[in-house]
Amino acid sequence: MNTETATGEYMLLFRGKQWDKGLSTQELQQVMDKVTAWAEGLQGHGKARAGQPLGEQGRIVSGKKGGFVADGPFAESKEGIGGYLVLRADDLNEAVEIARSNPILEYGVTIEVRPILAECPAFQRAKGRAGRADQLLSEAVA
Amino acid sequence: MESNPLKCQSVEALTEKKIIIMNTSTTKSDYLLLFRGNMWDRGLSPEQLQKVVSDWFAWFERLKEEGKCAGGHPLEKEGKIVSGKQGRTVADGPFAESKEAVGGYFYLQVGDIDEAIEIARQCPGLEYGAVVEVRPVAEICAVKQRAEELSAGRVAEATA
Amino acid sequence: MADHLFRHEAAKLVSVLTGIFGIDRLQFAEDVVQESLVRALRTWPYMGIPKNPAAWLTQTAKNLALDLIRREKLFRDKEPEIVAFLDQWPSDAAADESPMFENEIRDGRLRLMFTCCHPLIPQEAQTALALKTLCGFGVAEIAKAFLTSEAAIAKRLTRARQKIRDLQIPFKIPAGKELSSRLEGVLQTLYLLFNEGYKASSGDHLIKEELCQEAIRLGALLAEHPSGNQPRTHALVALMLLNAARLPARTDSEGNILRLKEQDRSTWNQAMIARGMLHLGESAAGEGLTPYHLQAGIAACHCAASDYESTDWSQILLLYDRLMELDDSPVVALNRAVAVANVHGPKAGIEAVEAIQNGSQLNSYYLLYAVLGEFEKQLNHFQAAIDNFRKALELTELTSEQLFLSKRLQDSEERNLRSVA
Repeated sequence: MNTETATGEYMLLFRGKQWDKGLSTQELQQVMDKVTAWAEGLQGHGKARAGQPLGEQGRIVSGKKGGFVADGPFAESKEGIGGYLVLRADDLNEAVEIARSNPILEYGVTIEVRPILAECPAFQRAKGRAGRADQLLSEAVA
Repeated sequence: MESNPLKCQSVEALTEKKIIIMNTSTTKSDYLLLFRGNMWDRGLSPEQLQKVVSDWFAWFERLKEEGKCAGGHPLEKEGKIVSGKQGRTVADGPFAESKEAVGGYFYLQVGDIDEAIEIARQCPGLEYGAVVEVRPVAEICAVKQRAEELSAGRVAEATA
Repeated sequence: MADHLFRHEAAKLVSVLTGIFGIDRLQFAEDVVQESLVRALRTWPYMGIPKNPAAWLTQTAKNLALDLIRREKLFRDKEPEIVAFLDQWPSDAAADESPMFENEIRDGRLRLMFTCCHPLIPQEAQTALALKTLCGFGVAEIAKAFLTSEAAIAKRLTRARQKIRDLQIPFKIPAGKELSSRLEGVLQTLYLLFNEGYKASSGDHLIKEELCQEAIRLGALLAEHPSGNQPRTHALVALMLLNAARLPARTDSEGNILRLKEQDRSTWNQAMIARGMLHLGESAAGEGLTPYHLQAGIAACHCAASDYESTDWSQILLLYDRLMELDDSPVVALNRAVAVANVHGPKAGIEAVEAIQNGSQLNSYYLLYAVLGEFEKQLNHFQAAIDNFRKALELTELTSEQLFLSKRLQDSEERNLRSVA
């Protein structure tokens, strides 16, 4: 009995400290075009599921009862996450290969590739909960 | 209408559904709760761990029932980090005990960031040092937006 | 999920894994178990609580143990036998129905109990290690129970584990000549554990209740096993049950201490009393008479009385007399004095206190003065009562006790005023 299995889904987390600084307008446009093409290519092959850039505003909540709410800055932090993408792949190697093909790497962005843990037969929901939300998500990743 | 390069059809489907289901005037926005830190749970006693597990599960279920959370997943502890031109560097990671490591996420759909923050503050792990990052899911990448604004600016100059 | 599921499973898993890794590598077992619980935290909130949480934890622990064994060179030689054992270890629902495996688990727990309670390990370290590994408490929880720092507890644990390695204590249930003295050591530690929980002193109230329950649980486990199935084990278990059964009545709804005569006996746990009486019966086998027997007997007298007035104080006094023969410590003598007063009156009680050998040891013990104050009050010597209660108040810092004593003091002061009016 396995307690953990990967879904076949991988999360790519994009991290980069102001990677676009110093680029000319033209270069910037070129990069964005390349990245767009890359993403659309993946969608075309059914490899990409959800994926979005993350807004630079945001908050960090910590402390008992979430007493501390701090502003970013996210773009400047080394660990700041600029966006994410959920991929579908056969294994971690394939997900890594896909990540390696992203043109944004050239500009110092790093991509963290993490398998998404899934439900496996050993689990069973403690109480049934169907619901809109569940349906939304399954449609979102379909 | 600009297409968001990183937005894929699934998200459009999500948005569509959002419009169909939300026939009230309240609009919702998408937020990601990123659960950061892979050390805070290490020193907890079995009793404490049991409580956090129960409370966190109940929290997640409640958010889903309320229609505020579309879902969430834990991320497997270790994966790979890709960097360098053509992704020539592939390192194992992230291993290090870190306050920043992302352990999982919730995908929220709520009215505004304040609501998302209020939800984040309910995280049962906070008591023990977990950190929750709240990020708006952007319609359009900020960098791309800047690129376009700059482009538009150039065109405007050229035609002025 | 059942209450304390994680804690109970953790304790069970530690004992089984210790059998695999060896007692000198106790820390590995603890680490694997901790990691298994942490894994549950990482996934269950999203996936839901598994249908059989214990089985999930067991399977995870097995997998982690296998990983560890493969990684660590130290286990290289033993790897095949360990892997074979792990294969046999059922982790699904079937395990619960397998009596053979249940016996293995029980034996594993007893081995660990005897090891933790080895007489050459400092007593404080024994109790800390027992609470951590046998009961699944965390360092912070143990620190709270003993009103000390986490660092101090961590140190005790390290010392205990190191001592086990240094002494090369074998991981087995002692047999033959050794058994008697080793058993005594275990009983001693369980008794101390129980007392820690039973004391009305401050410290986390909930944890203290659990300490009593754990001591009883471990004692009962010991009594079921051939090696532990001795009259004195039953006597200890009886003592614990017959005292713990009456705990709910000891305080009122606000946490104030109530005297025996004020306690609501309907809140006594009759099921525990019944179990205690059974064990008391078992303890009567054979010739041995230990302090545990006598203390259990005294508790039984109280439990048998339907109200305060029906208490058989003569019998209790007889038992204290016998107890004094085995243990004439001043505290026992003080308790005996209370019995004396109940049988022969407060004047005799005071005389009994004055006659206590090494009574000076009680000079800082607030109960000495509380007891004397009570006797003096009964004799209408109100000023003497007031002096004693004041002295008692000076010596205790616990709020619940202070409130209790203040009431006694106030009462005496009022009666004093009335008597001179």
